[in-house]
Amino acid sequence: MKLTLPGIKELLLPSRATRGLADMAAIWARALFQAPDNAMTPRRSLVEFLAQVSLFEDLGRRDLARVARIVHERDYSDGEYICEAGKPGAALFVVRRGLVEVVRHAGGEEAPLALLEPPASFEESAALGTGVIRWFSVRARGPVSLLALGKSDLDALMLNFPVLANKILFRLAGIMAARLQMLIDAEGLRSSEEHHEGKG
Amino acid sequence: MTRTRGANAAGVVLKCVVAASAFVLASYLVWGLRSLIVPVSVGGLLAYICRPVVARLERGGIPRGLAMVLLLLIFALVALVGVHSVRAATPSDIAFLELRVRALYALNHRYRALMGLDPSWNRGNRLYQLTHRDLDPLLDRVNEMLALTPDEHAQFVASLERDTDVASARSNRLLDYDRANAQAHEMRARRTGGMEPAGRPVDGSAASAPPTSVAKSEPSGLGDVLSTWIIAPLIFLFLLWDTGSIKRGLLTAVPNRLFEPALAVMSDVDEALGNYVRGLFLECCALGLTVIVFITIVGVPFRWAITIGILVGASNVVPYMGFAAALLGGLAYALLAEDINPLVPLVTVESLAIWVVVAVALAELLKNVVYEPILLGGAVKLHPLVVVVSVLGAATLFGPAGMFLAIPTITVVRVLVASSARQLKAYGLI
Repeated sequence: MKLTLPGIKELLLPSRATRGLADMAAIWARALFQAPDNAMTPRRSLVEFLAQVSLFEDLGRRDLARVARIVHERDYSDGEYICEAGKPGAALFVVRRGLVEVVRHAGGEEAPLALLEPPASFEESAALGTGVIRWFSVRARGPVSLLALGKSDLDALMLNFPVLANKILFRLAGIMAARLQMLIDAEGLRSSEEHHEGKG
Repeated sequence: MTRTRGANAAGVVLKCVVAASAFVLASYLVWGLRSLIVPVSVGGLLAYICRPVVARLERGGIPRGLAMVLLLLIFALVALVGVHSVRAATPSDIAFLELRVRALYALNHRYRALMGLDPSWNRGNRLYQLTHRDLDPLLDRVNEMLALTPDEHAQFVASLERDTDVASARSNRLLDYDRANAQAHEMRARRTGGMEPAGRPVDGSAASAPPTSVAKSEPSGLGDVLSTWIIAPLIFLFLLWDTGSIKRGLLTAVPNRLFEPALAVMSDVDEALGNYVRGLFLECCALGLTVIVFITIVGVPFRWAITIGILVGASNVVPYMGFAAALLGGLAYALLAEDINPLVPLVTVESLAIWVVVAVALAELLKNVVYEPILLGGAVKLHPLVVVVSVLGAATLFGPAGMFLAIPTITVVRVLVASSARQLKAYGLI
């Protein structure tokens, strides 16, 4: 039996999740990028919305109100790039309304990687100020409303409310570690698939 | 095709016109509102200094509002103590007259000693021959400023006490000074061809006129100052209360493609300005304390050392001004000192001026070698020529406000330009 193993594209794109071992990775990807409850109403206040975001799930209401005071609300129109590959990041984003798609440009072609819905977050490493150049782009699909949290905002939180900042940083570290693990698994699966194909 | 090209050109022209109009309007507003620049900046810079204090209090569980009230109470207390100290240090009218007599005597006496002048004030040593053309007019001006008018002189003589032996001895000494001053005045008048110096009117009318006009103009001047400076505490409170809404408001106006570069630039500017302001504040405190310690060691009484130290700390905000203030304050005391109690046995009244110079030079050295690298670090690394030219240029354009704000403005502009260029390049926008 030939085992079909996915690349990063299949891993991160939930609708294209494949069977077997790849399903597991796809579940991981969904868990990381997608909200447990997709039914977000625009009437919910910012604090209530932030309570839904996995990044802020350890925070109490008071802390959430503090975060709500420092996040930036941005609106993007259909097709507008939120962030582009090859450029450094300065903020992490949380999808509040609408859909965004993660794409990768390779060899002149555009490959969709993931479709993110509220309250998914992306670009966490930018908020840590790692200075990493992006390898993917994120584009609005339809009108999109996002929340942005810059590195400088996190720095201010660390100065003013270190306990709160620590909670966020722990979550950030957890998310990034999970993503790294997922990529390593994906790479392992790909190697295994190539090995099987070689034998076949 | 031609129509599209024409529309593009019209768009560029329109943008240029709008940008030029905005620049002209901004310049006009800055010039028109220049009297508010210093109060607004002082309020803003104080808020920058105090923000970590409020953050620390808030971290300790104190609500932000209460933390600000506590901070204001501390400020009010410091202001009260400051006003009280200034009042205590401010001499009364009679004490001020005595101070002028003593200062005039000390100045003439030391000048004569330094220049080796004979009793006629005409012949002196080589130093006098080299410098008298420049220094004599300067000394005449200072003499005119310090000399008593006939009314003041009568008031001074009438105020001298002779109740006790000590008071009598003190009064005699002051009268000796006064006589010596009158003699010096006469000699200088002879030397300058018998012309009466302008500072000593024959009757009291000329002397009494200026205070009347000053008294008349004082309330309106004070009102103007108060109405202008009332904005400083408002700005201070507003900025201290803000937890990011100003920044968010500014970023709202930024187009999406510039959002991340703008965020990075604002962070850089905030960091640079914060480092500079807090570093400078600490440096001013450290320099003031050092000057207090050093000049106390050489014999300046603690009360006057504190006054000079506060003056030095405050004036250190303007580059090189702290050093000048320390030198002027210390030398002024050294000029007037009659009896000192130095902690170093080598210091005498005659050599006090030299020791003051040594103390101030050491304090300045300490500032440059220790305080500045540690407290300011790389926050401001400007060429001395740039500092001098920018401070003088800003002082010419905006007066004291320009002197005060020249370096912070240069710091912000430099970081703004460098960071903007870096970020725009990184994001492929230039």
